[in-house]
Amino acid sequence: MAEARAPQKSLPKINPVDRPFWEGAAKNKFLLQKCKSCGKVQFFPRVACVDCFGELDWIEAKGTGKIHTFTLVRVPRNPAFKDEVPIYYINVILDEGVIIESRLLGENKEKVKLGDRVKVRYEQTHNPEIKLPCFELAD
Amino acid sequence: MRRKRVCFVGYGSTEYSRKSEEPQLGHYATAIRAALNQTGLKKKDIHGLSITTQASPDTAPHVAEQLGFELDWVLNADYGGAGGVGAVRRAADAIECGHLDVALLVGGNSFDRSVAHQRPLEYQRGNFVDVYGYGGPNSLMALIQRLHMENFGTTLEQIGKIAVAQRFSAMNNPQALFREPMTMQDYLNSRMISDPIRLFDCVMPCSGAECLVLASEEKARQITDKLVYLVTDAEKVHYQVADMLPEKTTFGMKLVGEKIFSEVKRESIDLFEIYDDYPIAVMIQIEDFGYCKKGDGGKFVDTHDLTYNGDFPVNTGGGELSVGQAGLAGGFLHVVEALRQLRGEADGHQAKKAERALVTGIGWLNYGRNLGTTVALVMERRK
Ligand SMILES: [Zn+2]
Repeated sequence: MAEARAPQKSLPKINPVDRPFWEGAAKNKFLLQKCKSCGKVQFFPRVACVDCFGELDWIEAKGTGKIHTFTLVRVPRNPAFKDEVPIYYINVILDEGVIIESRLLGENKEKVKLGDRVKVRYEQTHNPEIKLPCFELAD
Repeated sequence: MRRKRVCFVGYGSTEYSRKSEEPQLGHYATAIRAALNQTGLKKKDIHGLSITTQASPDTAPHVAEQLGFELDWVLNADYGGAGGVGAVRRAADAIECGHLDVALLVGGNSFDRSVAHQRPLEYQRGNFVDVYGYGGPNSLMALIQRLHMENFGTTLEQIGKIAVAQRFSAMNNPQALFREPMTMQDYLNSRMISDPIRLFDCVMPCSGAECLVLASEEKARQITDKLVYLVTDAEKVHYQVADMLPEKTTFGMKLVGEKIFSEVKRESIDLFEIYDDYPIAVMIQIEDFGYCKKGDGGKFVDTHDLTYNGDFPVNTGGGELSVGQAGLAGGFLHVVEALRQLRGEADGHQAKKAERALVTGIGWLNYGRNLGTTVALVMERRK
């Protein structure tokens, strides 16, 4: 019988479609998909343009944006996160015009309000090859 | 508008329980038996079966074998909270086409620990949401509620009024798990779950099942003299999916409503059985249906009585918020309650006027937007 293990924080199950995104994040780059046909920029990673079904390239985003909305998670779905509550779970509008779901970190996160400027901050996970793009309030 | 007439001819419900480990199949059997008893139909009269659940790996064909149904039509109505109304639409299509004349539509949930309950998260939820420690649907709806409050000045008291009114209606509904009175203070003081969503914004997971019986009009006339017709229905899947800056406080229900109300008068509805996984979702749907302007949902609930005997009755049996959410049977609860009301069988919480009901289902909170599936129907009692 397997030993009981403490729950592990959730990690992405990286696949061929989103691998470039995660490889970018590991090098502190925030990559978005851009349509070769219509130029639309999109997130999350997909196999085709969500608008015209065109083929896709990757572009590097600036990693800046503003808070669209947020919630303070008191009861995480995965209990491995319970020591970190409240988790500031956010929607960010990147300056490239795309909404990203992420997490706000930093000492001053309690001050967050809608419209606040944020910048990306890459967090190392327990897998040495995976970093998570999170955000913090910009000064 | 339906080309041929399709009728709701009966229903069956189980008791709801927070503890029972009754297997999913047992709940199905209880609900189906109740529906067969009510309609006088025999098992051999049933030619179509639809199943909606997340609590068992067994799909509709497996369930049909287990229950011993030989069928002409089978469906897995797997659309989250939209599974009830979604199943009705698809069964009505099949009846219209002449594939069958009677269908059973079943939704359920079970805490039977001998089978796997949890499906793995889908790709976008697993790789781009759960990794940040989110709190499940409560957190995703909280993002929407905060925007509604900040952008439109909606207050907690306005949102809470929906939960409090529904609780009043539930007090005389024997199926409801929560029948004790709830005050606004109870609502406001309930524990924070994912700001601004608090405990009394959330449904209580429970086990149980609901069964609906749909039939062609010809067959319906042989079964009952309480004829309830499916008048019209519409659906929108992944509204705004190609819009990277979507309007998060407008659901696809806006387009569903435009279609529905191009066929029946908005003012002709007596009852509103609105999918209520959260009170804010009810408020947004009322706006989307055009009963008030977008953002005025708070003022709308301030000026209307939402209880079963009020001027704008919403979730007359208490809804999922007070009855409990038996998993994906939650999407059937609203149809069954509408049917009870239209047949005059809602003992203790019967609305004064109950001839025409609007019933909705919503499912899947999707990435960065709001709802994956929005579906609605209008049903009507005719002499
Ligand atoms: Zn394109």
